[in-house]
Amino acid sequence: MRISDYGDLAKIKKNGEKKILPNKPYVAVGMGTCGIGRGAEVLFDSLERSIKEKNLDIILKKTGCFGFCAEEPLVNIYIPGKPLIIMHRVTENDVVPILLGIERGIMPYRNVMCRIESWDYITGEFNYGKGLEEYPLWNDVPFFKWQKKIVLRNCGLIVPDDIEEYIGVGGYFPLYKTLKEMTPESVISEVKSSKLRGRGGAGFPTGVKWDLMAKVEADQKYVICNADEGDPGAFMNRNEIESDPFMLLEGMTIGAYAMGASKGVVYIRAEYPLAVQRLKGAIRQAKEHGLLGENILDSGFSFDIDIVEGAGAFVCGEETALIHSIEGRAGRPTPRPPYPAEKGLYGKPTNINNVETWCNVPVIISKGGEWLTGTGTEKSSGTKVFSLVGKVKNTGLVELPLGSTLETIVFKIGEGTGSHKRVKAVQTGGPSGGCIPVEYLSTPVDYESLNSLGTIMGSGGMVVMDEDNCMVDVARYFTEFSNGESCGKCTPCREGLAQTLHILNKITQGKGEEKDIETLIKLGNTIKSTALCGLGQTAPNPVLTTLRYFRDEYDHHMIEKKCEPGICHDLFTALCINSCPLHMNIPRYLQLLKEDKLEDAFESTLRDNPLPSSIGRICHFHCQMKCLRETIDAPVSQGDIHRYIADTVHLEGKTQKIYNRLIKEKLAPTYKKIAIIGAGPAGLTAAFYLVRLGHDVTVFESDSAAGGILRWGIPKYRLPLEVLDREVEFIKNLGVNFRYNTTVGKDVTMQELEHDFSKIIIAVGAHKDVMLNVKGNNLKGVVSGMDFLKDVAKGVQPDIGKNVVVIGAGNVSIDAARTAQRFGAEVTVVYRRVKADMPANKDEIKEAEIEGVNFLFLSNPTEILADVNDRVRGIELAKMECGDIDLSNRRKPVPTGESFIVGCDTVIMAVGEEVEAPFLKEFGIKTSSNGNVFADHFSFKTNHPKIYAIGDAVTGPSTAAEAMGLAKKAAEIIDHELTNKRRFHKLFRAFEYSDKVPLKPEGGNRHYSVKRPLEERRGNFKEINLGYTKEQAYEEVARCLRCDVRVTVNNEEE
Amino acid sequence: MEKKKIKVTIDGHPYEVGSGKTILEACNETGVKIPTLCYLKDVSQNASCGICVVEVKGAKTLVRSCVTGMREGMEIVTHSPQIDQARKTNLELILANHPKDCLVCERNGNCELQDLSAQLGIKEDAFPRTKPHMLPDDTSLALFRNPDKCILCGRCVAVCAEMQTVYAIDFTGRGLRSRIGTFQDKGLGNVACTSCGQCALVCPTAAIVERDETNEVFCDLYDNDKIVVVQTAPAIRVGVGEAMGMDEGALVTGQMVTALRKLGFDKVFDTQFTADLTIMEEGYELINRIKTGGTLPMVTSCSPGWIKFIEHFFPKSLDHLSTCKSPQQMFGAVAKTYYAEKMNIDPRKLVVVSIMPCTAKKFECKRPEMQSAFHYWKEKIGLAEHESFFDVDYVLTTRELAKMFKRKGIDFEHLKEEEFDKPLGISTGAGVIFGATGGVMEAAVRTAYEVLTGKPLEKIDLTAVRGFEGIREAELDIAGTKVKVAVAHTLKNARTLLEQIEEGKSPYAFIEVMTCPGGCLGGGGQPIPTTWAIRQKRADSIYKEDKLHAIRKSHENPAIKAIYEEFLVEPLGHKSHELLHTGYVERGIF
Repeated sequence: MRISDYGDLAKIKKNGEKKILPNKPYVAVGMGTCGIGRGAEVLFDSLERSIKEKNLDIILKKTGCFGFCAEEPLVNIYIPGKPLIIMHRVTENDVVPILLGIERGIMPYRNVMCRIESWDYITGEFNYGKGLEEYPLWNDVPFFKWQKKIVLRNCGLIVPDDIEEYIGVGGYFPLYKTLKEMTPESVISEVKSSKLRGRGGAGFPTGVKWDLMAKVEADQKYVICNADEGDPGAFMNRNEIESDPFMLLEGMTIGAYAMGASKGVVYIRAEYPLAVQRLKGAIRQAKEHGLLGENILDSGFSFDIDIVEGAGAFVCGEETALIHSIEGRAGRPTPRPPYPAEKGLYGKPTNINNVETWCNVPVIISKGGEWLTGTGTEKSSGTKVFSLVGKVKNTGLVELPLGSTLETIVFKIGEGTGSHKRVKAVQTGGPSGGCIPVEYLSTPVDYESLNSLGTIMGSGGMVVMDEDNCMVDVARYFTEFSNGESCGKCTPCREGLAQTLHILNKITQGKGEEKDIETLIKLGNTIKSTALCGLGQTAPNPVLTTLRYFRDEYDHHMIEKKCEPGICHDLFTALCINSCPLHMNIPRYLQLLKEDKLEDAFESTLRDNPLPSSIGRICHFHCQMKCLRETIDAPVSQGDIHRYIADTVHLEGKTQKIYNRLIKEKLAPTYKKIAIIGAGPAGLTAAFYLVRLGHDVTVFESDSAAGGILRWGIPKYRLPLEVLDREVEFIKNLGVNFRYNTTVGKDVTMQELEHDFSKIIIAVGAHKDVMLNVKGNNLKGVVSGMDFLKDVAKGVQPDIGKNVVVIGAGNVSIDAARTAQRFGAEVTVVYRRVKADMPANKDEIKEAEIEGVNFLFLSNPTEILADVNDRVRGIELAKMECGDIDLSNRRKPVPTGESFIVGCDTVIMAVGEEVEAPFLKEFGIKTSSNGNVFADHFSFKTNHPKIYAIGDAVTGPSTAAEAMGLAKKAAEIIDHELTNKRRFHKLFRAFEYSDKVPLKPEGGNRHYSVKRPLEERRGNFKEINLGYTKEQAYEEVARCLRCDVRVTVNNEEE
Repeated sequence: MEKKKIKVTIDGHPYEVGSGKTILEACNETGVKIPTLCYLKDVSQNASCGICVVEVKGAKTLVRSCVTGMREGMEIVTHSPQIDQARKTNLELILANHPKDCLVCERNGNCELQDLSAQLGIKEDAFPRTKPHMLPDDTSLALFRNPDKCILCGRCVAVCAEMQTVYAIDFTGRGLRSRIGTFQDKGLGNVACTSCGQCALVCPTAAIVERDETNEVFCDLYDNDKIVVVQTAPAIRVGVGEAMGMDEGALVTGQMVTALRKLGFDKVFDTQFTADLTIMEEGYELINRIKTGGTLPMVTSCSPGWIKFIEHFFPKSLDHLSTCKSPQQMFGAVAKTYYAEKMNIDPRKLVVVSIMPCTAKKFECKRPEMQSAFHYWKEKIGLAEHESFFDVDYVLTTRELAKMFKRKGIDFEHLKEEEFDKPLGISTGAGVIFGATGGVMEAAVRTAYEVLTGKPLEKIDLTAVRGFEGIREAELDIAGTKVKVAVAHTLKNARTLLEQIEEGKSPYAFIEVMTCPGGCLGGGGQPIPTTWAIRQKRADSIYKEDKLHAIRKSHENPAIKAIYEEFLVEPLGHKSHELLHTGYVERGIF
């Protein structure tokens, strides 16, 4: 029926209200493209069948999407008088319980996400009902908690195909008000006072834009809705149209009236068939009801809307290109001015706004412009819809007030990555935007703040990235996109992006040159400042922001030819090799073992790593964290095999034979003297490689034996002394001079070393415990974890009592706890976060629990209590609870206000270590405030030309493998500098082994090595891990998928 | 009307400039030129190259000066390190995908890209090539496109679309695959291209050039067995001097004749002779149409681009075309019949070379109809089909001729002046003005008036049809009959008149159409650059030459009288019909 007066409109509103709150139950299935993609159609059919079969008096509806993509399909269930229930991840299997639940008047419990008691449709409010309090309210769900739904006010709640439901929630009343009560000028002044800014990305004040157009005199004017949403990963506009098409039509009609346009065009991507279909239906219904077309609402105002389907060119989002595309010409931009407001579609004044901008209009008219300024910031009012995607747990469409922080979006709404990986960056604005590193996530989301970080709001795409994303590859990906979408008209965009892409491709292939970075910046700036349209002007943002915030990743690719996250596949063969700090060829020794070439396998590990038996026991096993096999079941236990090989060769008495081989092939003496300070893993590794290259190497060690943390930190039940001794002995036999009990700065001066040696390598470790800054940390009975472990290693009876509290959650803490327990103490580890957040090796934590170590999580020490003798008598712990997820992707511990005391006589502090080497500062070596030496990341050079620094001395506490990895690289560089020759490769050799890839995964489930029984562990330091049996080792080896084998296809450039 | 002045600051100095000017225009007036590449005054404002950028205070990006208008209070910086860097980078980017084969390039020494590279201080290749090589377009008889040399400035597209409304070429593909293409990549020879060559005239590089036939002509010149005669169009004498390094519009008729002889042509003739002949034929045709109620308005047919245009786009109006061949084709036909017969030359050994300001003439001479002499001789001496020849063998543009002069080492500027050979070198002032827009009309009127009235024309200069206004009209009183005539140049203006004709609203009896702006003197084969100022100078020289001629009316040309007496008998006679008139074909637009 045609609506001509208020009475007609009110009558339809009544009908609509009855549909929204019917007197019988309804089930509404979310049928956006996203829901359908997750099976909503099948679900709907099944519901329809069941309702019909059972002859139930239940209404079945199709709604749009409520926005929580990760939880699709979403289903709303309404039983008169009760709150609206939103169910998630509903499948066909849930149909029967759901219908049964409705029949019985109680809600089915399965899959209920939340309840809605009342809903503010902004243009009207609905009370669904009370009760069912066992389910959380919708805005208690983290995903919704921080959102404010203005544009998405109706999405997922009303039926998009039914104009009566739209009018039912108050829709089209704003249009009525506009046409019957307002002048065009007053409409524009309302929009101006709302401070609404263009939601397409540029943020131009909408009211001002309208005003410009309104003031131009012309016989014909147009309004256009830009629904050419083209950013990868963005789907806000699609959902807005699919779920609530009338909102857009009403907004455009009001705008047309204000600006004096009689024709409108919605330019929408043809890739959005459902949105097109719903929009067409909506236009038809609006016309039937006299809300579009001739003489709207009998006001004398006529306005019609056409749909033009774009062919999917990204550049057609640019307004001049979009206009050309509507005109049937190629979507190529033209310079502005003239702006479309002067000369637009078919040469007539034209106003273009984004879908979301139009959708705000009915609300502004309904509530008044001022109302919108109550949300958002001073300069950016209202809300913005974002599509939150990528490495984030809760993906979906989120609408929140402008000025909310990125942290809120990523961690509060998105709840972090949802995995153990940390968030690295957030990409906003799609290919036109930039990457913001996690450190900047407290930035409020508004047009200006994002611009100042080098990115843009864009239309609202937000891609979360974690450690596994390579930022160079991200820049390359977006540049490839922009390059492909460049219309090709102007030089900087067409040619500049191609060159940028060429360079990025080179870098990701390891062919980057030093000048490339400078060229990238030069190109970026030129494209930004001289490209003809917005596409080009913003296209360098991904490159420029990653260069700004992730320059080190570029350096890794260019200098080290390494892609840390293992994305740029030209830079590595297997993921495990790439992630191993020592770059051990892991698939090679696995395969050699598989082929029964045990000696070769051992030799392979030894050449890559001088301490295979030791590291095979205590490594952090970086390799396992990236193993491709994990995508099927669990990673291959590369470490256990590593150890098995070393141990078996030793048991068979063949170790020395292979040692001798290496000793024999030592290169001729160079007579270059090298001093290494520190005989820890880093120092030993540097010595191992440098001495084999023929240099005269002397290691200075302040302690009485070599090994560093391996000897003094790691308890013997993890690394038996004889294993370490054997490997140190071998390095000594290679010809390294060890000068024990020699402290540099005391027993020998740096000046002497400088005089006597060609090169000096600082390889001191981080052995000094950081003491927690709490009251009582100087009491008797408070000991440092490292000191404690060292005493035990030296055979000194440790000064601990019967009740020990260990503070900290790293490996030192667990080692200290288990060691203390072996001295008969009752041990409790306290940690302010939860168990899952502990950085220590998971295996070690598990063994500690088995051995009876107590854990107190969510407990934060606030004071160490003293007895009368100033000895520890207990520790006061604040009880914490889990707060929101913080930047480290873990839930932040928040004090509950409660605290409690744990009685104890000893407190072991193990909350972190730092470097302690006063001689460095005295000699003028630059160090940071926490004692780390400043050395170049790639050349390891300090500010002294002769002196290099590696390991913990540079990085602070790291794993043994990481320290050794740096030592290995440093050895190569130092040798090159001493000899001016590339000789490092001579220390390695080829091995013969098959490169056949298993056609299907072999070897079954992951194998776990045998552990010493609990009863055999008490009070002693016998090794706990007994290693693989032969069968286990061979089966485990078979599990390798051989991702190191690459099929090379000669893919020549076009 | 005095334009309002606005106050602006350019490079720190205050200036007053007329409103409505672009930044580029205003800045260039200050004595510091802003470099440009894609921009071409009066032709293209594609704003694509990114070279002419300047800083405007308050703007977020650099601003393209070629398309941005001056506004009150603007503060502009024309040169700064940032601007220089951007210009240089953009040029380097263009050069990355441009073949650097300058030494062997058609436009070596006359290339805007070359000049700009020097100007912006490009010293090395900054970027590698990123584009695949593209195949050249060899399909047109008149033009040759080498997409590899194209820098996508868009001038050719603009001139084809906006000046000529032909739309034979446009941008196609996107991103790095962008190129100038023809409909479905069929090639210029297979689409509705008029071969006018204006694209070649505006191209800053050698991406579009005329089909080079200099080598073929050299071969024939060195062939002792052949008798090679040359005809030169009126516009050559005001163009070739420029191409030889002389002043714009230099009138070099005498030197040109000498140089052509030095090049080895056996006879140096003048197309102006057949221009006079055209006037006779066309004039009588018009009179005949008026008297017998034939199709009017009658439209001239001497501009081959225009002929192709109407054949493609207005086939219904072909009847309006005069059936007269163009002077070039009349010359070919006359040379290989009348002249050959008179001089007793075997027509098969006679080679006719045309020097034309035009690329479309290359197409015209290869039209299958243009073999009248062959048919004449076939009947007369029984030539076999395989011995067929065209009336005109080669058409060279002004630019090609200059190249030949240079190759032959001719010291053009210092040559003494010589005269054309007789009889086909004898012409009148009426023939000269064929080279300028309105010239054919003026020449026709001079003859028609006197033929119809039998009285001498008092005012020979018909100034109403001179000048560069797009469409000019005049009303003539010939023996009491009022006749409205119109003159149009460029196909855009021709289109306007044709639409009028097709709507039945044309008030004219006679229309002159020239394809190229300014007429033949602005033809697609003329020296580069050709601007409106240069066209004006060439026109001045044309009208100067007209004044210098003792005889300024075609029907008074003694050689014309002679050819009718000796050979043709009478205008529109049987032989004329056979040799000097032709027909047209419908071509379609795809």
